Amino acid sequence: MTVLLEIKNIAKSFKLKGHWLHKKTFCALCPLSFALEAKKTLAIVGEAGSGKSTLAKLLVGAECPSTGQIFLNGQLLQYKRFKQRSQHIRMIFQDSGTTLNPSLTIEELLDEPLSLNTDLNEPQRKKLIRTTLQKVGMLGDHMNFYPHMFSGGQKQRISLARAIILQPQVIILDEALASLDPSLRSQMINLLLDLQQQMGLAYILISHNLGIVRHFSDDVLVLSKGEVVERGNTAEIMKNPQHKVTKKLMMSQNFQLKNK
Amino acid sequence: MNLLDIRNLSIELETPTGRILAVDHVSLSMKEGEVRGLVGESGSGKSLLAQAIIGVLEDKWHVHADRFHWRGIDLLRLSIEERKALLCKDIAMIFQEPMSCLVPTTTIGAQLSEALDNKQFTGYFWQKTKQRKEAVIKLLHKVGIKKHDVCINSYPHQLTEAICQRVMIAIALAGQPILLIADEPTAAMESTNQGQIFRLLASLNQLKNMSILSISHDLENITHWTNTITVMYSGQFVEAGTTQQIFTKPMHPYTRALVDSSPQANLQIPVKSRLMTLPGSIPILKHLPIGCRLGPRCPRAQQACVIAPKVNNFHGHKVSCHFPLKKEPLRTEPSRKEALNKCDTEQVVSKEIF
Repeated sequence: MTVLLEIKNIAKSFKLKGHWLHKKTFCALCPLSFALEAKKTLAIVGEAGSGKSTLAKLLVGAECPSTGQIFLNGQLLQYKRFKQRSQHIRMIFQDSGTTLNPSLTIEELLDEPLSLNTDLNEPQRKKLIRTTLQKVGMLGDHMNFYPHMFSGGQKQRISLARAIILQPQVIILDEALASLDPSLRSQMINLLLDLQQQMGLAYILISHNLGIVRHFSDDVLVLSKGEVVERGNTAEIMKNPQHKVTKKLMMSQNFQLKNK
Repeated sequence: MNLLDIRNLSIELETPTGRILAVDHVSLSMKEGEVRGLVGESGSGKSLLAQAIIGVLEDKWHVHADRFHWRGIDLLRLSIEERKALLCKDIAMIFQEPMSCLVPTTTIGAQLSEALDNKQFTGYFWQKTKQRKEAVIKLLHKVGIKKHDVCINSYPHQLTEAICQRVMIAIALAGQPILLIADEPTAAMESTNQGQIFRLLASLNQLKNMSILSISHDLENITHWTNTITVMYSGQFVEAGTTQQIFTKPMHPYTRALVDSSPQANLQIPVKSRLMTLPGSIPILKHLPIGCRLGPRCPRAQQACVIAPKVNNFHGHKVSCHFPLKKEPLRTEPSRKEALNKCDTEQVVSKEIF
């Protein structure tokens, strides 16, 4: 298997207010490197303020890393070269209700990334929107609707459609499953797993629900205060966690697991 | 004697096009010292039911019940004022989103002391201010806030969500209630904080013998500390029984799907396999199906399902379904074990390849 996404020593620090001689910096993410293959899922778990969302922002290009490089298929991704990056790395956010523009129809929403990133003409774009909507389990005619006409689960499907319409290679799920109802969540998990098989997607899953992490991911990365405290195969780490932070995370959710 | 006994409670919403039955003949009974979980997805009417119990619904909702007893007293015969006086004393409720339920312009200390009843204090009136202050500090200690000085003088926005939730619990405990209704006490909270809140509520239950009705949208969140669970779907009663019964032998297809679809509660599911789900989504209030509201999504639905099923009682395990899954558990248990074995062997194989 070839490596799809490779992160080398990526770090992010923010400048804090201080005396001009004693500049303080806050290290949100200490140097960290990992590699991700196609059809694999990497889960990132950690408490609030552990740097999970900073990592997602760095990968998707919303923030400039202080040090380090990101390679996609061996090619260096540069900050602010969105054309190159936005086609291959896409992100789904936690709250699908607020990330869809309410004044645009679904067709206009999905048309935006296509018209900005591809040279397709209008009928081709329309056809692609229709097939993508069908791929995520919705009807092609739904493209004339506005976001408020859909339920929460359907809105999450539309965000997924927006993410996959450019045929990306990596999708980042930032707590994308947390706010859904249980039955819709398992539908969404099934859909994501199917798409992974069909399109060879790699996922980066940021979640605090260890049950989903255990079911969904191949490898796991435990972050605490910007540092990687534990990494490895999900099943092995779930079986015998080594670090204190991992144990604490497991403990706080263990009562549910132990019940059976 | 039951603490709370509700039979066939219905809640109707008045709309311009007529009344809509939002909660359809739900029964709920609680014993003293019991921790009951009320589970249902969004739009299942669980919060409405809780609000109907304490009587804080708006005028556009109409509540009917065949029977509504609180510790043997028939509340339906009392006037509204009498009922309120009785329930305010004995029932307390924790609402969702603590940040938005606390008054933003008043300090935590003032809000807490407002919740304390003057009758709790003995002594002359000049002693009461001091006693009140001590009682506030005691309440904060009880919910696990050690820095009471800082907390009393701060406003809700200055505190974290978990601390605000603790303050809400402290306010609820101020009246020394017999029943505490916790409406999603840990929604949108970190998992470590969730554990703390649950442990706090569980210890209150054991030390004070306080009954708790815990409302959640997720079956996996509340299983570890409830004795009994009631499941609701789209305003209808689905299933009620002990936590053990619900988890090991769910009789309703919906409960079965909930248990099977949660990878957290169900360790037997092989990794990356398809989860069992019900097709479709939750019906909205305007377009509710007739009869059993699960009908269009149910894998076992038959013609009889267009009529709402009656509640059947199997040794305290209540199910509202025409075709309950009675013999399923016996057949499925070995297959689940097989699945687990299979999953183990698969993992071994994959280890060898890498």
